[in-house]
This record gives sequence, C-alpha cells and structure tokens, in this order.
Amino acid sequence: MLKIENLVTEYGAIRALDGVSFTAGEGKITTVIGANGAGKSTLLRTISGLERAKSGQITWDGKSLIGKAPESIVRSGIAHVPEGHAVISQLTVAENIEMGSLFRRRQFRSDVKLAIEEVYELFPRLAERSKQLAGTLSGGERQMLAISRALVSRPKLLLLDEPSLGLAPLVVEQIIQTVNDLCRKSGLTVLLVEQNANTALAVADYGVLLSLGKVVANLPAAELKADASLRAAYLGY
Amino acid sequence: MEQFLSAVFAGTASGAIYALVALGLVLVWRGAGVINFAQMGQAMFSTYVASTMIMNGYSYWVAFFVALAVGTALGTVVDLLVMRPLSGKRSSAMLASPAMRGTVPVIASLGILGILQSAAGMIWAAEERGFPAPVSTLGLSIGGTVMPFTAFDLFVIGIVILTLIVTTIFFQKTGMGLAMRASALNPEVARLSGIRTSSVRTLSWAISGAASSLAGLLVTPNANLSPNTLDLILIIGFTACVIGGLDSLPGGVLGGFILGLGISFVNVYSSPSDIFLAILALLLIVLLVRPQGILGSKEVRRV
Repeated sequence: MLKIENLVTEYGAIRALDGVSFTAGEGKITTVIGANGAGKSTLLRTISGLERAKSGQITWDGKSLIGKAPESIVRSGIAHVPEGHAVISQLTVAENIEMGSLFRRRQFRSDVKLAIEEVYELFPRLAERSKQLAGTLSGGERQMLAISRALVSRPKLLLLDEPSLGLAPLVVEQIIQTVNDLCRKSGLTVLLVEQNANTALAVADYGVLLSLGKVVANLPAAELKADASLRAAYLGY
Repeated sequence: MEQFLSAVFAGTASGAIYALVALGLVLVWRGAGVINFAQMGQAMFSTYVASTMIMNGYSYWVAFFVALAVGTALGTVVDLLVMRPLSGKRSSAMLASPAMRGTVPVIASLGILGILQSAAGMIWAAEERGFPAPVSTLGLSIGGTVMPFTAFDLFVIGIVILTLIVTTIFFQKTGMGLAMRASALNPEVARLSGIRTSSVRTLSWAISGAASSLAGLLVTPNANLSPNTLDLILIIGFTACVIGGLDSLPGGVLGGFILGLGISFVNVYSSPSDIFLAILALLLIVLLVRPQGILGSKEVRRV
C-alpha cells in the first residue's frame, strides 16, 4: 500500500503540492486526474524521488520514502514512467529495456532474462524492432518501450504519467488495456496520472481529483465519473 | 615519397595521443558536463611518478602500470573531493543559477591544475627531465634501409588502437558501459531505471584519468617532462574534441587523428611556425561549416 500524508512540494516560491493525502491500495488502479498544473506530475516525481518533498510523508510497504534517491526507490519496487514517452532515443530498443534491469542483473540473472522475454510477449512490436534506435519508433511504440523499461525492474507499484499524451485513441486503448491486464492478472498496483479523465476512470478502481495542488475528491472511480458537478467544476466538461 | 610516409606515420602516432586526450575530455564532458582543464595536470603528475620510479631502478613496465593506476586514482579523487560536492550543493548562493553550476566546476578544474603543477614543481623541482620510451625512438631499420617511422611510433599507434578497441567493447557490450551511456544521454531516465548516476560519473572521471595518464606516458618521450609540458597537449586535445564533436567519443578520437595528421603535414611541408595558424584555420572552418563538430549531435546542449 502506498500512503501519502500531507505532502507538500515546492518549486521555488510555487507550491505545486499543497498538503496532498490519499492511499493507493494494493493490486488496484488509482488514477489521479485534474487539469494542467494541478500537480499530478509533481506528485509522481515526488514519490519516485526526482523532486524533494518540503514536508509530509510517503510510506510504501510500511517504510518511508522521504529523502531517498530515485535509484534507491526503484529498488524498493516502485517504477516510474515519466511524462512524454521517456525513453533514450539514441539507444536501441533492446538497450532501453536492458537498462531497466541493469541493477538486478547480478542477483537475478535468470529472472532478468525472463522479465525481458515477458515484455517482448506483451509488446511483440518491440521484439520486431529490438535492434532499432528508440528514436525511430512511433509515439505509441515509444510509450510501450517506456513501460517495458519500467516492467523489467519487476515493480510492485507502477507510476504512469500521462501514457495517453499525444497518442491516437486506438493506441491509448491498447496501452491502457495492457496496464489493466497487468494489474488484474499479476496484482500490480498502479498509480495512473491522466488528463484524459474518461479513459482513466474507465479502468481505475479509485479516482483522486487534484486541483491546484490539493485533493478535492477521493472517490471510487465510478462515483467520481458519475459526479457531474465535480466534472464541470474541475475538468471543464 | 619518403617525406610523405614519414609525415603520415608521425602524424598518426601523435594523432593517436591527441585522440586519447580527446577521449578523456569527452568522457568527462558527457558524463559530468565539465571541461576538465586539470586533465593533463593529472597526467603530468602520474608521469612524474613513473619517471621517479624508473630513476629508482624499477622497470619501465612496472612504472607504466603504476602511472595508469595513479592517473585513475587522481581522476576518482578529483570527482569525489571536488566535483561531487560542487554538484550536490544546489542550495548554496554561489551555485544557485544553472549558469554558475556549469561554470564553477570548470574554474575548479583550473584550480586543481594550478595545485598539481605547483605540487609537482615542489616535489620534483621544475626543471625539464627526459622520459624513456620502451622501444627505440630512432628510425626503424629493416634490412639496412631506414624506415620513415620509429619503433616507438608503432608502439604508440598499437597501444592506442588497443585502448580504443577495449573502450568500444566496454561501452557497447557491457552492462556498466550501457549504464554510462544512459547516464550521459538522459540522467533522469537512467536514475529511474536504477542506475547510480553519481557512481557512474566517478567512473567517467576515473577512466578519463587513466586515458590521459596513458597519453602523458606516450607523449613525454618525444617532449621531455616538466610541470607545464602537457599544457599544449591539452589545448590540442580540446581542439580535437571541438572539431570531432564534444559529445561524441568517436568524434573526439577522429578529431585527434585529423589534427595529428594535419600538424604533421604542416610540419613537414611548410614550417613548424605555421602549426598554430593551421590548427586555428581548421577549427574556424569546422565551427563555420558544422558548429556541433563532425560527429557531434545537433541537439541543444543541456547545462
């Protein structure tokens, strides 16, 4: 379980997260939705250690993550796929995937092999293109690659930042469904940040609505989806 | 014809050394975002250690490997004691702006250069001394004909090519090499993948230290050793990086060979006094035609 209490993160004078509290249950998809600038990405970046929290607490599996570096946090089973299909375009597809498993390669050699085979099964398109540079892939393939890179670290918690950004609806559907299957079949806990609230709420168990760094609603996804006044006030549709 | 061949061989041998210097500079630039002006100071220091060992009766090869170890250690120490603390102190007023974070480590490297040169002067006295080569530096003679190259030229070319092959295999085929490339290209994604980027950065400094101390050992038999001898090599090595592309390892190596051959041809066919004019002209042409360097990437540089 991921538990966030009164989390505050600032960029200089700007308070991006202003006392955020919620929990993400094990084996569930929790989606964080909200308009641009609501603090969604900052939330994920603070959890994964890329940004330093000013105050508050982040607890994962009963242990605090505050003050830990990203490279340690990924070792505790949290994988972050940042915004913008974050892959390294000058490396090949295979190298991008291998990169995510480097820190486990000595201890779990055979499992690393297995994990890499699994992501190629999940995304056969990547297997076909394993020798190509990541920069030559389409946006959807790049997103698949970014997720694969995260999955080979064998995470228990997957932080996904706007996987739908700039992708065609069909590709978005495929990626979201894959994430959904992973969660339902292997018990992966997912924290999904989305601006595309409908897509996210369709698969999520819980929805957290952020506005200007504050949690304005924390409800089961179906209820949040049904609440027309919240939608109108914070998402503008 | 013989003049031409001798220019080619001498140029390839000195180009190989400039390529090593460039390799060291590019490694640290890509890995840590710093132009390390102390690099050849570190090399000078490790060469003095080798020279002192040889004078005290140790064999060339023992001294050679000790010098490489000292070079590696110096690179590591520079990162751990100076560069890492500087990059960590984001909260200090002096390092608050990105521009200063880019500049301060470079100034610090100049300081380290000063310290190393003064320390070498104090320990070993500042007068020039010779440094031996493991093989003859006179024209190789085969069947009575004197060849336009020396055994030492061949030794330098061979050892540098071996180093380049080993480095390429390390970067392309090993996990640590992949970690180093990933950290240089995108530190954030690398850290999220679990790569300890600060250790990787220290490794860049260490390998760079080893490469430049090798350059020091290979260049001094033809240049004598003093605390300032290697300053010029650094300038040529840096020019080689800019010509080849500062963010490309093959680019730096290519730039080194281009400059080595260029300088050698000017030396043979024109006069040694034209060398700097030729270097500047070449640099100017590259900067005008291809500002990012021959193999450099067009991407906007992160600072």
